[in-house]
Amino acid sequence: MSATAVAVHRKDKAAATLVEMCSVRLGATLFGVPITHILEIVGGARPQPVPLAPVFVGGLVHYRGDVLTTVSLRQLLGMPPKEGSQDLLVLESSGGNFGLLVDSVGEVLTVSSADHEPNPSILDERRRALFAGAYKLKDSLMVMLDPEQLDPMRLSAVLAA
Amino acid sequence: MDELTREFLIESQEGLDRMERCLTDLEERPQDAGLIGDIFRSVHTIKGTTGFLGFKRLEKLAHAGENLLGLLRENKLTANEPIITGLLQLLDGLRLILKTIESEDAEGEGEDTALIARLEELQQPAEAQVKKPAHAHAGGHAAKAAPPPAPAATLPAQPAPVPVPVAAPVAAPPSDIGPAQAAASAPKEPESEAARPRTQGSAAESSLRVDVTLLNRMMNLVGELVLTRNQVLQATSTDPNMTLLSRRLDMVTADLRESVMKARMQPVSNIFSKMPRIVRDLSQSLGRRVRLEVEGQDTELDKSLLEAIKDPLTHAVRNSLDHGIEPPDVRQAAGKNPEGMLKLRAAQEGSHVIIEVSDDGAGINVEKVRQKAIERGLITPERAAHLAERELLQLVFLPGFSTAAAVTNVSGRGVGMDVVRTNVEKIGGKVEIDSRTGKGTTLRLRIPLTLAIIPALIVRSVNQSFALPQGALSELVHVPPGQAATAIEWIENAPLYRLRGKLLPLVFLDRLLMPGVEHKIATERDNFIAVLDADGRRFGLVVDGLADPEEIVVKPLSAVLKDIGLFSGATVLGNADLALILDPGSIAMKTGVTMREEEASQIADSEADAGKSLEYLLVEAAGRQAAVPLTEVLRIEQLPLSRIEYIGYRPVLNFEGQLLPVEDTGGVLAAAQADPEAQIIVVVCREGNRHVGIAVSHVLDVAAGGDLFEAGTAQRTGGVTLLKNRVTGVVDLGGVAPLPANEVAAAEWNHAEEAVV
Repeated sequence: MSATAVAVHRKDKAAATLVEMCSVRLGATLFGVPITHILEIVGGARPQPVPLAPVFVGGLVHYRGDVLTTVSLRQLLGMPPKEGSQDLLVLESSGGNFGLLVDSVGEVLTVSSADHEPNPSILDERRRALFAGAYKLKDSLMVMLDPEQLDPMRLSAVLAA
Repeated sequence: MDELTREFLIESQEGLDRMERCLTDLEERPQDAGLIGDIFRSVHTIKGTTGFLGFKRLEKLAHAGENLLGLLRENKLTANEPIITGLLQLLDGLRLILKTIESEDAEGEGEDTALIARLEELQQPAEAQVKKPAHAHAGGHAAKAAPPPAPAATLPAQPAPVPVPVAAPVAAPPSDIGPAQAAASAPKEPESEAARPRTQGSAAESSLRVDVTLLNRMMNLVGELVLTRNQVLQATSTDPNMTLLSRRLDMVTADLRESVMKARMQPVSNIFSKMPRIVRDLSQSLGRRVRLEVEGQDTELDKSLLEAIKDPLTHAVRNSLDHGIEPPDVRQAAGKNPEGMLKLRAAQEGSHVIIEVSDDGAGINVEKVRQKAIERGLITPERAAHLAERELLQLVFLPGFSTAAAVTNVSGRGVGMDVVRTNVEKIGGKVEIDSRTGKGTTLRLRIPLTLAIIPALIVRSVNQSFALPQGALSELVHVPPGQAATAIEWIENAPLYRLRGKLLPLVFLDRLLMPGVEHKIATERDNFIAVLDADGRRFGLVVDGLADPEEIVVKPLSAVLKDIGLFSGATVLGNADLALILDPGSIAMKTGVTMREEEASQIADSEADAGKSLEYLLVEAAGRQAAVPLTEVLRIEQLPLSRIEYIGYRPVLNFEGQLLPVEDTGGVLAAAQADPEAQIIVVVCREGNRHVGIAVSHVLDVAAGGDLFEAGTAQRTGGVTLLKNRVTGVVDLGGVAPLPANEVAAAEWNHAEEAVV
């Protein structure tokens, strides 16, 4: 992928590693998902709800012949559901592929590992378990999301605890 | 090279490739139990299979490696640099032998003692720290082998110095090239060698091997195509110019889909056919006598599922032979047929294919399981005390569990059952185990027809479509508008429907799926009751609407959604909607529907009856009818009269060296004596812990015997029973005199017998 190539190029210039993050907007917060874990971005996804599913499950989507379980970031963070269509990130994790439903997907930003800071202690416990720190951008903060941490199987374990 | 060996080579190569990847990862994460488990399984599988194929050298080497890996797995050793190097050497050693097998169909005569010794050395914790991997090079046999750089060049992924422990196979190709050159070209040579038999043996030119992943991809693409077709059909439905084209697209797509599906289906005989050899070789090496019975060979299953259950099935068969079926002498002592029985059965049951491996062996000792589980720290003693027998049996599926007294070559490392479960659950199946001490064990694999097509009825509820497998559906009841209130009756809050005069428990799908919400029965519209039968539990599922039945492609659900316990999968419908597949069995379980009380009581009654009155085998001996208690009958043999031999006057049967006294009170043998070709029937019965035979002329029937009471005393009579309204004598098995213990006693026994007869 050309994106990784860019990252490698810039690596020579800066001492800190550069990571390319796909920016994701959810309410007022800016999130980032490392593009290396994104298989595809699908716009206007309409997931099929699953009755009795854990609260964070956004439903099922059909993706290239497979049925993917999606995690709704809104539901996960306890935010009210959004009207209209959502964007879907198809993510790769060690437990298999799954979808992440977000309000909208923005541009790809290159961030430096030097700007990364771990989760602040004043975040509530649940968010600390879900977020993977934050990147300090010029005029805002971008919360890093780690697909491994958002894997549905892990989520149900974390939220049950 | 036979098919079995070829497949073994392909599989082993894959296993070794995986092992190599894991080993390199292990260097970075030496504590990763998952990696060690993976490597262990690769080696274990190779070792297991080589045993059957008779590759002794390979087996020895793999065994040595497995021992070392076993220590790593049990955390008695920690993977360090020398150990990983040692394991990589093992990998190379295994690869070299595999290459030789591939090119020569034999494992060559090389010696691996140096490598095996090295692997054994590494099992000593201190040694592993101090010794340098250089040892392997110093091995006497390896010394004269090719210079290390040559193989290293062909295996560039190798981070460690490559040992060449095997000299002979390298030199073995009958060419005039020097040893060094041979070593360099050896890895390439087998490829051309391997290619040759395939092109030569192209008698079956019409068939061709296709990678399963390619088939998987084709399947998914066809699914995509079907959806696209549906959308095209909808979009063009108003355009008359497109009608012909879209109809053609429709047909071609349907045909294509069917063909791809078909291409993936294979009969289970593909894996069953490998079992006889495995059973034979294994029972030989273990000293067991085993008869293999196979049933339902033509049950078809998707190729990828078939692949996935091959290993679990092999493990299950090995377990049965090693832990289940006892050695012949033990069996005999327990009054069983010295020849054990192993049965493989495949059948389709609803939306599952059931594969059973059952044996008539010792069964699983539940107490032993309990102790072992506590001993291994898999469970706390307090918890173990509370577990029911059935739950205790499930413990054998925990990783690292094994009840075998000794770690044998075949099994007993506890890897078997854990692999069985992991592999079967990976494809969405279930493993059930059922065991009775002394009677045998049945391992049941329930494989879903994932990827396979199942007919399903599409139902509507909570504004969604759901698929209901037709297999469980017995009938549909339509409740017209306005009648719902009267048609559905209640006992407190239990809804019921009178189906042909009988009460049928109802389950409202909407209430089940959305429990928090207040639901009212919509009387102003149609209601439908799908009458389901899930393993004997009948109930009616009330849904809002019905759509057409459809052939659906079952897609597995993620574990999170499987845990809900109501859905067995998902599917994409013709209109591109997703639908969850309802699992009638789980719904019945969740809503507490059990077998109807009257049905259950009927079954209980018949069981109680069976306890009261014995069943008898009705036989005829020289014109007279007699009864033999059915519980004592082991088998019925028809054999030529010439098989009967005599000790003195006593007729006996020689069953492969085991002598069976034959009782001939009816004079059947004497009557048949005139005809040298005569066939006689011997009913083999159990009497105490010995077996006796009863000579009869015909076996008539099986019937329940009634009690007879003596007139006047009203006491139950012995020795006779009422069979089919006729008073019938019961053969007194205890009265059959035992066989003489030795020659001297024989004469006395003959006397005694004359007196009896």
